[in-house]
Amino acid sequence: MKIFSNKPFPERFQPQYDDVFRDDAPLFMVVGDLSLDQKYGESALCFTADAVYAFDGAHENGFLRVGYDEIKEAKVKRMYGNATFDVYLNEGGRKKLTRFTFAAADVADAGADFINGLIDGEDAAELLGAVENTFLKQRSFCPKCGRKLPSPDAECLNCKGKGKMIGKFAQYAKPYKKGLTVCMLLSVFTTAMSLIPPYVTGYMVDTVLPNRDRRALITMILALLGVYVLQYTVSALRTYLLRMTGDRFIIGMKKDIYERAQNLPMSFYDKTSTGSVINRINGDTAMIQNFVLRVTQDAVVQFFTLVGILVIMCCLNWKLTLFSLTPIPFVALIGRFFGKKIGPRYMRLWRRGASITTLLTDTIPGIRVIKAFTNEKAAVDKYNAYNDEWLKEDSHVAKIASVFPAFMTFLVTCGSLIIWYSGGSFVISGEKGFSVGLLVSFVSYASMFYNPVNFFANFSDTYQNTLASAEKILDILDAEPEHDFGRGNVPERIEGKIELKNVNFSFDKSKKALSNINLTIEQGDIVGIVGTTGSGKSTLINLIMRYYDDYEGEILIDGKNIRDIDMAYYRSQIGFVQQEPLMFKDTVFNNIAYGSPNAHVEQVLRAADIANAHGFISRLPEGYDTLLGERGTGLSGGERQRVSIARAVMKNPSILIFDEATAAVDSETEHLIQEAIERLIRGRTTLMIAHRLSTLRNANKIVVVDKGEIIECGSPEELLAQKGKYYKLVQIQSMGEQLQKQKAEENFE
Amino acid sequence: MITYIDGPEIRITPNDGIFVDAEFYHTKEKKTGLEPHRLFPRSGANRYIALLDENGDQVAVIRNADNLTPDSQKALTDALNEYYMIPRITKFLKMTEKFKIWMWTAETDKGVITFEIRNHIASVKPLYDGRVLIKDANDNRYEIPDYRQLDKNSRKMLLPKL
Repeated sequence: MKIFSNKPFPERFQPQYDDVFRDDAPLFMVVGDLSLDQKYGESALCFTADAVYAFDGAHENGFLRVGYDEIKEAKVKRMYGNATFDVYLNEGGRKKLTRFTFAAADVADAGADFINGLIDGEDAAELLGAVENTFLKQRSFCPKCGRKLPSPDAECLNCKGKGKMIGKFAQYAKPYKKGLTVCMLLSVFTTAMSLIPPYVTGYMVDTVLPNRDRRALITMILALLGVYVLQYTVSALRTYLLRMTGDRFIIGMKKDIYERAQNLPMSFYDKTSTGSVINRINGDTAMIQNFVLRVTQDAVVQFFTLVGILVIMCCLNWKLTLFSLTPIPFVALIGRFFGKKIGPRYMRLWRRGASITTLLTDTIPGIRVIKAFTNEKAAVDKYNAYNDEWLKEDSHVAKIASVFPAFMTFLVTCGSLIIWYSGGSFVISGEKGFSVGLLVSFVSYASMFYNPVNFFANFSDTYQNTLASAEKILDILDAEPEHDFGRGNVPERIEGKIELKNVNFSFDKSKKALSNINLTIEQGDIVGIVGTTGSGKSTLINLIMRYYDDYEGEILIDGKNIRDIDMAYYRSQIGFVQQEPLMFKDTVFNNIAYGSPNAHVEQVLRAADIANAHGFISRLPEGYDTLLGERGTGLSGGERQRVSIARAVMKNPSILIFDEATAAVDSETEHLIQEAIERLIRGRTTLMIAHRLSTLRNANKIVVVDKGEIIECGSPEELLAQKGKYYKLVQIQSMGEQLQKQKAEENFE
Repeated sequence: MITYIDGPEIRITPNDGIFVDAEFYHTKEKKTGLEPHRLFPRSGANRYIALLDENGDQVAVIRNADNLTPDSQKALTDALNEYYMIPRITKFLKMTEKFKIWMWTAETDKGVITFEIRNHIASVKPLYDGRVLIKDANDNRYEIPDYRQLDKNSRKMLLPKL
């Protein structure tokens, strides 16, 4: 039988292992990475049907056996940066079995659940199945190539062939293949044209001028004029075509990045500042746009010029060509060294720039708070400090970026001195087939040749700078999007029965946000979710909204796993009203019709009426055409809340979720909102998070959440009779309300 | 209201690992099984340490552990050392990347460790005083007290990620 383990069993304890498991192998193992004395090392827990064996150097003989019949409870104690596997004994006291980092915390949790389940008399095979699932979830390796995946369900970059950065960006150029080909042909043409004048000059110096042939001179000048007209006309056309192609390419990329950003899971935004995302969509794509324009407009021309001149120079005189190429290896080597030196610096510069953007996106929308706390000076000081840091980093970059290209240009210029010396010597010594005209042509070609060399030598700077931006963009493009496993799976309708089975969830491995949630909400139930701040109420709602997918256990709607239902359809069936509703910079009408673009005017009016919003909107001078400022400025908190309820009405959802919808409004507005909510929730499954328990008077079920667990669940009457946490909360609030009433009466008197 | 403990007005004795017992001289109160938590685990190791009871409710805050009697201080420090683990990186041995997954091997005060970094921007936070805070793919934390003090090779490896 296969033994599940997160890592191979430590060799250090192999003798003890062989000794203990001589006859029978363990069911599964949890291999830790810390010793009990907090040093990196190895330890292991082996679980059998009747005991757990802990292997650690601190235990006598290297291991310790604890039978399940001795254990009252097994627990993983998460601390700061490490965790221990503890067992609480029936006879009292606690035994610390092993220590590990958070890398092994999830599988250790599964081990603790296994022991506790067995103690509670649960089915061993079922418990082992749950353990197996946890282990499988941990194994994030590509089944094809065996490489480690960034997360359990992620696509393998190796097998998808996505590893090459240039390849990824090239896909945006694919639709413009034809245009780019035309541009390239035009580039070849203009380059060929540009190579004619030096040849003609040489001919004039060697033949026309010594023969004093005026007619030939005029013919040559007219020929040159014709070449110039043709060259610059075609060049203008090429520039225009390339510019348009480059712009379309970049717009395509911006659209794609924005779309990806929209489909990234909430966990991405938990870890990445919005400022940094905005910087990537705007700043970094602009950087790539400049690069693309530089590549498509200059690099192509310079490349063809380089090749063309090299061919002509070789035809004119191969010896002199070799002399003129002397500086090239040095230029290439220095360019490479320069790239290595400046690349990391550009990355640091990017980070400093992103910090400034993040600061701006924090402080500019929060200008009211800054003013209210007269914190303008501190905000300016912080901004200045960030800019100074950027400047400091930029000065490092500027030093490297100035010295190296200048040095390379110097090397390249030295090449022309070599041509003058060697070519001049050939002319002076009267070498066969070498004339003054040829030298003049050669010097002209050489000066043209060094331009592209110079261009490519300095190109490394632009390339490295763009590379830093490209990597940041790939962060979004490669990030794992929200998984829509049930795409296209649209049930006829959602009735509204919600079941949560053994749900566990943590934002990161250091702390569990929800533990062992089991809850059944029947269709049409009005459920009040109560608990202190930080108890896990909103997290529970976030899971039901499918903002996070990486939870353990199952969430079912009408008996179907929500992961198997088309995500867009599923979310469209839920009306979500938040404590601080977000308004978009648009008209009141469009804010209500958000998400229902084809809504009829009267549908919107009706929704506003149900939400008790129609009254105040009709009193606005511009009615439904009132343009709201950013975040809804122009409306009061209660008015914004009613607009958001109207928005929920428009969706006609099967399930309604209110997250502290009346927390931030006065009692009169609360009454209006409450009235609107009561109209809206009729016949719909409703979940309401509320601090003010009075707002839950319609609830037929109350769920009390504390420290990520459901501690009480039942009808309000049942919970009051239980005299538990809910009862206490009701007592505290009614005392508070009475006091408030008394105070109000005293003030009136 | 927060109850602050300023100096030797409390006697702390060890209980079990991360737990301590406390005797408050002023109130003659004795509490057992308290869990000390640093309020500023990153910036002030010995200052402002909260004592939490079994429900996670705060009993008192010790303003400065250095002002306690040596015995109490030892009991408190032992419990804190048991709870907190922030390995201090002294040297980088290797940083390798394959398919956008970085594996860093570092020498720390707790021994040598290899950990996974998925995103430099989110996982590596340089502070302006030279400290660098690192969080790996498993949410384990590490600290470089001053990256400028690292050896040349380690700095060379780390620099592009800062």
